[in-house]
Amino acid sequence: MSAVIETEALTKVYEGAVKGQDVHALTNLSIKVDEKEIFGYLGPNGSGKTTTIKLLLGLIFPTAGRMKILGSPDIGARAVRTNIGYLPEGAYYPEFLKGEEVLSFYGHLYGMTGRDLKTRIDRVLDVVGMSRARKRTVRGYSKGMRQRIGLAQALLSDPQILILDEPTTGLDPIARKEIRDILASLRDQGKTLLISSHELLEVELISDRVGILSEGELQACGKLTDLLSDRDTEIEVSGATPDALTRLAEAGIRVGDQVDTKASLRVPGEVPLYTAIERCKAEKLALVSVSPQRETLEEFFVRIIGEDEEKRRTSQ
Amino acid sequence: MTAPVNFLSSVWTIAIYTWREGIRKKVLIGFLILSILVLFGAQFMTAFLTVPRSAGELETSIDVQLKMVKDICVTVISIFGALIAIFISASVVPSEIENKVVYTVLSKPIRRFQYLIGKFLGVQFIIIVNLALMAGLFFVALWVKEGVLPTLLLWSALLTYFEFLIVSSFTFAVSCACTSAVVPTILGLFIYITGNLTEYLKDVERRSGQTALWLDEWTGKLARWLYLTLPNLKHFSLKTQILFLEPNDPPRDVQMMALVIYALVYALAGYIIAYWVFRRREM
Repeated sequence: MSAVIETEALTKVYEGAVKGQDVHALTNLSIKVDEKEIFGYLGPNGSGKTTTIKLLLGLIFPTAGRMKILGSPDIGARAVRTNIGYLPEGAYYPEFLKGEEVLSFYGHLYGMTGRDLKTRIDRVLDVVGMSRARKRTVRGYSKGMRQRIGLAQALLSDPQILILDEPTTGLDPIARKEIRDILASLRDQGKTLLISSHELLEVELISDRVGILSEGELQACGKLTDLLSDRDTEIEVSGATPDALTRLAEAGIRVGDQVDTKASLRVPGEVPLYTAIERCKAEKLALVSVSPQRETLEEFFVRIIGEDEEKRRTSQ
Repeated sequence: MTAPVNFLSSVWTIAIYTWREGIRKKVLIGFLILSILVLFGAQFMTAFLTVPRSAGELETSIDVQLKMVKDICVTVISIFGALIAIFISASVVPSEIENKVVYTVLSKPIRRFQYLIGKFLGVQFIIIVNLALMAGLFFVALWVKEGVLPTLLLWSALLTYFEFLIVSSFTFAVSCACTSAVVPTILGLFIYITGNLTEYLKDVERRSGQTALWLDEWTGKLARWLYLTLPNLKHFSLKTQILFLEPNDPPRDVQMMALVIYALVYALAGYIIAYWVFRRREM
């Protein structure tokens, strides 16, 4: 698959008013977003996610590094811009305009007019499920409806790439699910989606690959199956004694919750499961259950960010 | 669509959107209502202020009353029109940056200079419509009172627009570098006020240098620099002629075309500054 978004050592430094107070918003970011994938772009507040998006859209300018969109380094070119749909976080749409007027405004900016524009508006309103509310003014829209209109304006030119900044933040669970379904259907239609989000569960559910950013630096990037593959296995045992558990801990098996003689053991990836089970048998523990524990994206995220913070503290 | 048509279509779309959003601004509507109230109120106010004591005074009284009405109305149009022009020019770009509309617009196939032209045109539509409303009311009132078409007022309104064009273009330029409308509004007012006082600046320059004090000398230099740089907005006022000439007289001693070109050159300079500031502005 070819990359439709590519950055190489992309760096953004905001100059401070006083020398030495520069803010390094992004440092040597090199990522590739392949076509027809959903790329989840994650990071805590201020980690540089929105900065990256603004750089890709030409709203701000890089201090160093290169970017290519659809193979073109001229990210402002008409052919490139027409192929990018963008939904900013918490976007505002004029309250006095009707839903279809908002889309008409943005459609004209793409150079669409007349029947073409009308057909396209009908199509995107249908995709985002807003056909029935098209004649209502934005003033009367709920947060979810505003987000859908935002998504509709991003889809107007039938772009190859969609860049969505926090598309589900602040929405109720039903609206979230609806937006998530729309995004998944867009992926099925062959669109490439770059989704910046705090909602880790949402991202985990729909992303093919993720990139995790911390303090402007990329900490991890890859397929979820690869990143989350280093799994623990949970073994539940009964008949556990404190001595037996101590010996298991010495063998590298982590001991979790204990209730009476029942205990939950966590076997890390580096300890072969067979060895762990043999050890339990040797301690005369009865196996209740053995279940592979899939690390969630949230756990992975917290671990990666925690490690990065620890590294920074140590280096200071 | 071809490239030039695309270009114009996008500019026009932004201009119309700016106009539609701008005319809904509460402050602007407030200024407009207030100015219309004063325009109406002037008719009654002057009637009370100039009550004739004898039949002989009646004719003089009507003449004085009319002059007062004209004076008040021309001043109101000028001041409220300028306030509207300054406020709207100062706020359109900063408010779009604040509410992030600019993100969705500039992520479309739109160049920054197109966006700015559209915004600037939208501002001019608002100024023109407001001015037309205020001047239109005054025009009708004068027509009814004097029985002849006050064409001189139309010339005055035209020149007033070009005065506002100069003020709004510089206010707009400053607003392109700001995150709120406060600083550009203050600077817009500064340009409007000093632009109407440039003759005094010449006077200040003439009087400076009479003492050996450095402050005196530098004040003179500053006054000269301001005189040469700032537009002379007094040239755009036909107030005296409206007061003392017949309502349908042509304007006298005014080089209309030269003033229009003068205003357009200043407006172009304002737009160039706006673009120069905005082209590398980080959103």
